[in-house]
Amino acid sequence: MKKTIYSLVLPILIIFVWAILTTFTGYIPEYILPSPNEVFQSFFELIYNGILLEATLYTLTQVFFGLIVSAAVAIPLGILMGWSAKVEGLLKLIVGILRPIPPIAWIPFAILWLGIGLTSSIFIIFLGSVFPILINTIDGVKRIDPVLTEVAYTLGATEFQTIRKVVMPAALPSIITGLKIGVGIGLMCTVAAEMIGSNNGLGYIIVKYETFLTNEVNNQYS
Amino acid sequence: MITLKNVFKTFDHNGKTLEILNDINLKVIDGEFLCILGPSGCGKTTLLRMMAGLDMPTSGEIIEGDKVVRKPTRSRGFVFQQYSLFPWLNVVDNVSFGLELRGIDREERYRKSREYLKMVGLLPFQHSYPQELSGGMKQRVAIARCLVNKPNILLMDEPFSALDVQTREKLQVELVKIWENEKKTIVFVTHSVDEAVFLADRIVVLSKSPGLIIENVPIKLKRVRDRNSYEFLDVKKDIIQLLND
Ligand SMILES: Nc1ncnc2c1ncn2[C@@H]1O[C@H](COP(=O)(O)OP(=O)(O)O)[C@@H](O)[C@H]1O
Ligand SMILES: [Mg+2]
Repeated sequence: MKKTIYSLVLPILIIFVWAILTTFTGYIPEYILPSPNEVFQSFFELIYNGILLEATLYTLTQVFFGLIVSAAVAIPLGILMGWSAKVEGLLKLIVGILRPIPPIAWIPFAILWLGIGLTSSIFIIFLGSVFPILINTIDGVKRIDPVLTEVAYTLGATEFQTIRKVVMPAALPSIITGLKIGVGIGLMCTVAAEMIGSNNGLGYIIVKYETFLTNEVNNQYS
Repeated sequence: MITLKNVFKTFDHNGKTLEILNDINLKVIDGEFLCILGPSGCGKTTLLRMMAGLDMPTSGEIIEGDKVVRKPTRSRGFVFQQYSLFPWLNVVDNVSFGLELRGIDREERYRKSREYLKMVGLLPFQHSYPQELSGGMKQRVAIARCLVNKPNILLMDEPFSALDVQTREKLQVELVKIWENEKKTIVFVTHSVDEAVFLADRIVVLSKSPGLIIENVPIKLKRVRDRNSYEFLDVKKDIIQLLND
């Protein structure tokens, strides 16, 4: 309980300063930064009319499917790459070239190849989340204490059994770390992708209401 | 029976070739308790790993029964010097690991595993996880995990070296009992003269750099051995003499 209160101190302070700068002093004009009460009001309005909920669900569904594809590719591949120097040697260069490309940079191709919509978004989420999962899985496999795999062999395990019963559980914490990072990046990618090529989701409503805002600003100046 | 014929082992280290073991010839007789004794770094672990099939000799041959040892199999169980339990499995699942590999059903697996856990005195801890156990308990579980798998031979690499003296001596007594009951062949590596004299039917003494066998010492002392008896201390003295020459 004390901890909860403690962690609330800073957010409340920020809202307080925000309110002073906007509502109470008008130091920052409304069209640059809306006041807290206006933001909360819009927030509740969006919740109330269901727009926000629907958009959130849409976005999360996309992230979910994107992550499933990523995990299905990255976990088995990461285990093989971490386990076998041969497989790693074969794929290292390709991964090294593709990995630094920001997933957002693929958006034009995604739209070109897959059109606007779910497939396109999933493709972008996949590209964003596949590498953190892959790299963490490889790392987890490589960091396994070799004595554990050797124990398995001396107890009569085949290589396949060793991978399944030792390598996989031993690398699981790293794989989960990779998935967590993947979720974060996946979410960022989706929202970004929706801002450009979508007609639904959180990114889409951000852009949609941005247009409203622009109109409002324009009205003020005209 | 395991036979080593003219076994040499070298490691390449930073471009240099290190001669670790030199012309090792050794027969491990069925049912015997053999200790391999030598100073740290003389190649004891390397020798045992080659017997297990975890490492290959640079030249020479290691034969178990009538087969050349090429890779680890369940007929040669190995107890490692470092703790080696699977941290994500509880004690009984650790012990069952080898049985599970062979597709033995859960009930049967647990029944057999519990039998061996009882033998090492850890039945009450069957549901504990490795991180909840002391060092001595971990090594006991590792021994049970090995035995339940019914190996022909048990290879043990200084399994008690990380334990305090009391625990170590207690486990030595238990190990001798297990060896007598199970009628297993044991090859036990150690750098402790006391441990070797307490456990062994025969001690193979290794020298350092390059490691070669300097002596084969049969230990005829009656079991259970008394570490404070004159005979025990005499044998110890002789072996320390050998190591110092
Ligand atoms: N994989 C390896 N590469 C290079 N040198 C090694 C390797 N394994 C062991 N050695 C060297 O071989 C020697 C013997 O090692 P080891 O068999 O572990 O000795 P012991 O178990 O008797 O203490 C040591 O000097 C060690 O540094
Ligand atoms: Mg050693």
